[in-house]
Amino acid sequence: MKKAITDQLLLGWFWVSGLLILVILLAIIIYLIWRGGPFINSGFILESPGGFPLGTEGGIFPAIKGTLWLILLALVISIVPGLLTAIYLSEYGRSGRLAEIINLLVQSMAGIPSIIIGLFVYALGVVTLGWGISLLAGGLALAIMVFPVIVVSSRDALLAVDENYRLVANSLGVSKSYTLYRVIFPRAVAGITAGLLLALGYAAGATAPIMVTAAAVIASSSGALLEPVMALPYHLYILFNEHISMNHAYATALVLVGLLLFINILALSLSSLQERINRH
Amino acid sequence: MIYRGLELKEKIISSIIISVATVSSLLLLAMLIFILRESWPIWSQIGVSGFLFGSSWRPLNTPPEIGILSMIVSTMWVAGGALLIAAPLGFGCAIFLAEFAPRPLAAILRPVINMLTGIPSVVYGFLGAAVLVKFFEVKFDLASGESLFAASLILAIMVIPFIVANSEAALRLVAPEYRHAGIALGVSRQYLTLRILVPLARKGMLGALVLAFGRAMGETMAVLMLAGNTLRLPGSWFDKGEPLSALIALELGSTTPAGSHYQALFAAGLVLVLMVIAVNIGINLLLNRLQKGG
Repeated sequence: MKKAITDQLLLGWFWVSGLLILVILLAIIIYLIWRGGPFINSGFILESPGGFPLGTEGGIFPAIKGTLWLILLALVISIVPGLLTAIYLSEYGRSGRLAEIINLLVQSMAGIPSIIIGLFVYALGVVTLGWGISLLAGGLALAIMVFPVIVVSSRDALLAVDENYRLVANSLGVSKSYTLYRVIFPRAVAGITAGLLLALGYAAGATAPIMVTAAAVIASSSGALLEPVMALPYHLYILFNEHISMNHAYATALVLVGLLLFINILALSLSSLQERINRH
Repeated sequence: MIYRGLELKEKIISSIIISVATVSSLLLLAMLIFILRESWPIWSQIGVSGFLFGSSWRPLNTPPEIGILSMIVSTMWVAGGALLIAAPLGFGCAIFLAEFAPRPLAAILRPVINMLTGIPSVVYGFLGAAVLVKFFEVKFDLASGESLFAASLILAIMVIPFIVANSEAALRLVAPEYRHAGIALGVSRQYLTLRILVPLARKGMLGALVLAFGRAMGETMAVLMLAGNTLRLPGSWFDKGEPLSALIALELGSTTPAGSHYQALFAAGLVLVLMVIAVNIGINLLLNRLQKGG
């Protein structure tokens, strides 16, 4: 009898903690829609911040633009080194000593707090190279931050390609680079794209690294590399922290979360597509 | 001849790939060395123990008082506290997903966990400060509801998905024979899970916890918006404090390069990153032992 009660309690614990995850996500989304939804209209999306203090009226257009510039730049900087490192790990190094070390370094890099990356880029780009607080510095910081994400996801996508393709190509005398380019890569491209999307989403939400390297309270975000930019997450922080406008803070948070969930869902469907490809 | 040319091309491609991979991975070491260099005057003038155990942070005084004990203690409270809250829920959810959840529910929960990791920390911090802190202020009649505890609570929500994903993977790695044997012996599902599966997966689950601890220590925005940011040494979980990450984010913009304030923030950054790396190395040793079946 006592056993049955314990079992029931345990079952309760498992169910509660499982459902709690769902409840938290739903609560966040519903609450943001409830508080922020009424303030989102075309003006909010397409206008610059206005009113006094700045941000009480108008919209968040420069922040949206700035975030897009930042993640684009981060991707441009990190994609080639990221993909080549992944290709090395999956196709060239495999289980060699160097690959082992690189794997370890990449894994440790993934664990480095984003504020530390901001600190590094602040010293290197903002101060030493004289870029100042700028789009370029922010893009570099975010690129360093997403590099391990790109490496790990692309490496795993490449490794998941059936080994027989490599063996057959090799036995037919096809060169390694041709095999990679024409056989392996096309079969992993959905998974790699999913990883890139996740990296983009990760970069779009990051605040700490751009707070010290790129972000300004107000800027036109024209895309000039050496100018500071506005960014959605930093704008949200400022709106709340400087007590400018709670309504606009909720609306900004909703736009940001909406954007990220969209990217996330896209990435998830691409990776399930990849799983289907791998099974064939 | 053609064959020769092809071979050369292959050689060039592979050496480009090797060099890019090596150089970009070495960036990690470059970062550490750079941060060490920027912070060097602090270590040579104030010394390691003076910096780590000094509890007064007045970098602009003459002479500057530079000690980060309060921030280290705050970081430990916030991250440790987050784990205390997140562990039972994260493990519970992982067990639920691995053993008890009906299939359709599990199919919903897995992407949900993914999406929770996709919500940025500034949004968690904002919601925590706007809702949770407000709630504490009203409920307990406080002048301001920010505290290390509030930061831990929100941080817990942020690290739960990582604990769930990694410990579920560990539970699934347990060989099916154990499950079959348990079921054949007629023990309850709960007994089977807690007494057989969890002990077998315990190293992987512990690894998940350690990984979450590293994340919690480095987390910045949520902590900065919730911990209250006072420089006093926190006496309890319910005091205010300013963790290392928040200190760096808040003060870096107001420093002058090569001043002692600037150097001190780099020293604080080095301490933070070494704490996180120590945790990561710990988990790697753990996982290696696990792989060797120890």
